[in-house]
Amino acid sequence: MRGRFRSFVILVTVMSVHPAVAGAQTIPRTADGKPDLSGIWQTMNAAAWDIQDHAAQKGVPGGPGVVEGNEIPYKPEALAQKKKNYEQRATLDPETKCFLPGVPRITYMGFPFQIIQKPNELTILYEYVHTVRYIFANGTPHPKGPIEWWLGDSRGRWEGDTLVVDVVHFNDQTWFDRAGNFHSDALHVVERYSLMDPDHINYTVTIEDPQVFTRPWNMNMVLYRHKEKNFQLYEYECYGFDFEKIYPYPDLGAAR
Amino acid sequence: MSTKNLIIAFGIGVALLLTTVPLRAQGQGGAANRPAASKPWPPQKLSDGQPDVQGIWAAVNGGSTSLTNPISGGEDFDRRVTGENIRRPSRVIDPPDGLLPYQPWAAARQKREESDYEHPTRPEHIDTQHRCLISGIPRLYTIVPSFRIIQIPGSIVFVWDEYHAYRVIPLDGRPHIASNVKLWMGDARGHWEGNTLVVDTTNMRGARLTYIGDFYSENAHVTERMTFVDADNMTYQATVDDPTVFTRPWTFKIGHRRRPDDETWESACWEGNPDPDVWLKK
Repeated sequence: MRGRFRSFVILVTVMSVHPAVAGAQTIPRTADGKPDLSGIWQTMNAAAWDIQDHAAQKGVPGGPGVVEGNEIPYKPEALAQKKKNYEQRATLDPETKCFLPGVPRITYMGFPFQIIQKPNELTILYEYVHTVRYIFANGTPHPKGPIEWWLGDSRGRWEGDTLVVDVVHFNDQTWFDRAGNFHSDALHVVERYSLMDPDHINYTVTIEDPQVFTRPWNMNMVLYRHKEKNFQLYEYECYGFDFEKIYPYPDLGAAR
Repeated sequence: MSTKNLIIAFGIGVALLLTTVPLRAQGQGGAANRPAASKPWPPQKLSDGQPDVQGIWAAVNGGSTSLTNPISGGEDFDRRVTGENIRRPSRVIDPPDGLLPYQPWAAARQKREESDYEHPTRPEHIDTQHRCLISGIPRLYTIVPSFRIIQIPGSIVFVWDEYHAYRVIPLDGRPHIASNVKLWMGDARGHWEGNTLVVDTTNMRGARLTYIGDFYSENAHVTERMTFVDADNMTYQATVDDPTVFTRPWTFKIGHRRRPDDETWESACWEGNPDPDVWLKK
């Protein structure tokens, strides 16, 4: 017991003296030495409403945006479309139809998600409409297009301790947020997942879409690990709510 | 239903099915016809002691038409066109008569739902699966599309190829969530008994089990036993205990087989789901 306590003191001392070194040593790693991103994560920001800086409105929390530099380099005609989207967001936002929300929007919807990491493949299970996403990390290229997927095709690779995910083959039906920020089917997304310490991931996204933007631009945010005892994903069956009144045999329900 | 209407309905059904089938089959050049990669047996042990059963699996004779007469979709069509009854052995192994032990009111309800399914006039007559709703447990183990097993320390994960359905089953003996919470996939807790995964699922929403209107209520408690008998075969058995609907617990069985490891591509069902009017008889 005394020896264990002494080790603890030494460990604490090392960590406090050399935080950078200690941080690099203490991030969880898989058997093959890669950073281990496994776990349940969630964002803690207001990007679901608007990825740019915005003041609160009734029912909408304000907060700093996640766009680096805050400006999104829309082409002039695209900016007009964005403004129109914002004005008609109550009906035009694909989220109102409960469609798969696209990448990276699914990350910051505000629901938890679980990363399952295997050497050649990562699976992300999102609470939001049971969305499932596979990131193939075995060196294979994107399948030949044209393909229009809601979540695109994700191919991952490790650059040092950063997981870099290249995503293409999107459709033009999803938005980036509830403020009407949008893209075309030429969207190309590059995500970077990098553990800052055992419980935080630095998440950076590069957005490229020459049909809508004049240049690539970035988002940056932190993913927080859920540490609550026995935490688990529940469900948000978005389109299921409308069916609860008729399916299946609701009159059989016991008193809740 | 006239034969002409039936053929139209069947054609719509096939069209819908094609729109929801993942592109994997197209992209992988008939992968379903290739043999599964050979896996070691007895299975290797993972770091937490679980037998390694990871990979893609699917029911050998899957289909959601019926549990007691589990004919395929094609046979169902033939049966309707020719009027000849086709019988397949019941999946129900207990009770021994192979029938679902409904309470009288529930048996009448199932018959009515079966009739409504044949002649849908309202959206709720359409089977939940055709509306892209998650079919839940145990029905997802009876459908045709495959699922993937992924094992992580302390949990086993099932991800279906369609409906983006998944379940994460903790194996650490933690308690169930509060009983008032009802989930489409229920709340599952599992443990291994040798090469058999035993899963206890509660917190269910009521659900339909088949196209012909079999059902259980939200008081159902499902106990599953998935026995991996060799590297490529698994026997799935589920016992449904629901005193609201049935006179006694009942059990069905369905064989599953390993399929080739392949990439699973996106399945978006709801996004292309048509207006229910397409199905309804006016």
